[in-house]
Amino acid sequence: MTEMFSTLFGQNEVQGPPGSSSLGFGPGKPPPPIPQNQVSMAAQMPPQLVDEGPALRKSGAMNEPFYLLRELPVGNELTGNTNLITHYNLEHAYNKFCGKKVKEKLSNFLPELPGMIDCPGTQDGSSLRSLIDKPPVCGNSFSPLTGASLTGFRLHTGPLPEQYRLMHIQPPKKKSKHKHKHHRPQDPLPQETPSDSDPKKKKKKRDDDPDRKKKKKDKKKKKVRITV
Amino acid sequence: MAEKFDNLEEHLEKFIENIRQLGIIVSDFQPSSQAVLNQKLNFMISGLQDIDKCQKQLHDINVPLEVFEYIDQGRNPQLYTKECLERALARNEQVKGKIDTMTKFKSLLISELSKVFPEEMAKYKDIRGEDGPS
Repeated sequence: MTEMFSTLFGQNEVQGPPGSSSLGFGPGKPPPPIPQNQVSMAAQMPPQLVDEGPALRKSGAMNEPFYLLRELPVGNELTGNTNLITHYNLEHAYNKFCGKKVKEKLSNFLPELPGMIDCPGTQDGSSLRSLIDKPPVCGNSFSPLTGASLTGFRLHTGPLPEQYRLMHIQPPKKKSKHKHKHHRPQDPLPQETPSDSDPKKKKKKRDDDPDRKKKKKDKKKKKVRITV
Repeated sequence: MAEKFDNLEEHLEKFIENIRQLGIIVSDFQPSSQAVLNQKLNFMISGLQDIDKCQKQLHDINVPLEVFEYIDQGRNPQLYTKECLERALARNEQVKGKIDTMTKFKSLLISELSKVFPEEMAKYKDIRGEDGPS
């Protein structure tokens, strides 16, 4: 068994004719000591066959019976074995972002920004991607508008047509005590008016709810059954 | 570093507020509002000048393009940071698993080879002992 091991990692073919063993790796006997010029040849030969990897050890005689023993790669201090988050002091950031639930919408990140910012930017042409694909003209100086150029901004009196009313649309306020199941209208009118606070109108809203109607019917049926 | 962001943020907030007020004036315009409108327009231009001046302080800041996709979809950009950290941790664990498996395999292989080829492995350990920890 040890002879097979030695033949597998045996010396070069200069030593003798190819062995008659089935594997053809050379003679079974341990090889004689090699002259120094052939040692240097042996050391130089394998790197030509293999392009990558660490260099071979120079003195083949010292590495007997190992023929292709390579240098170990230079150890890197930072490997996947270390926790990179603690190494780069990102524990606080990790707990902040991954420990708590991060809200999905953009309006949660920028609550004070007016307008409907949760809509995709491609819908109204306000995407950041379009800024990269078609960068705006830069480098010109900003000069204030003079009297002559301000004449172009003389507007007609009166309200804007509804199709152009975009600025007043606010995203629905989330900190509301009363949770409404139905959709909120997109009109700029304030949500609560003095008339809405009437108890009669609140009762009407409750009666219009189809679920409440069903529940009332079920209650009536139960009462009827009990009386019978 | 946070100061230059604060400066830019302040200018942007003022600019956005000015634009919002412009929108309110324009939505229901009155003749008496013309002077205010002109003033707001010039504030807008000076606001743009201030934001442009902030450019020099922030020329070395790099923003990953993937964050833009999140913003364009109306999603919170902090989700990108969260997903980056989660992916980094998952990959770290994966690589650590590979390293641990390879270390175990190496020690197992050396122990088995030592049983079968004791002399050769002793020589091998001597050689490797010169290089450092095996």
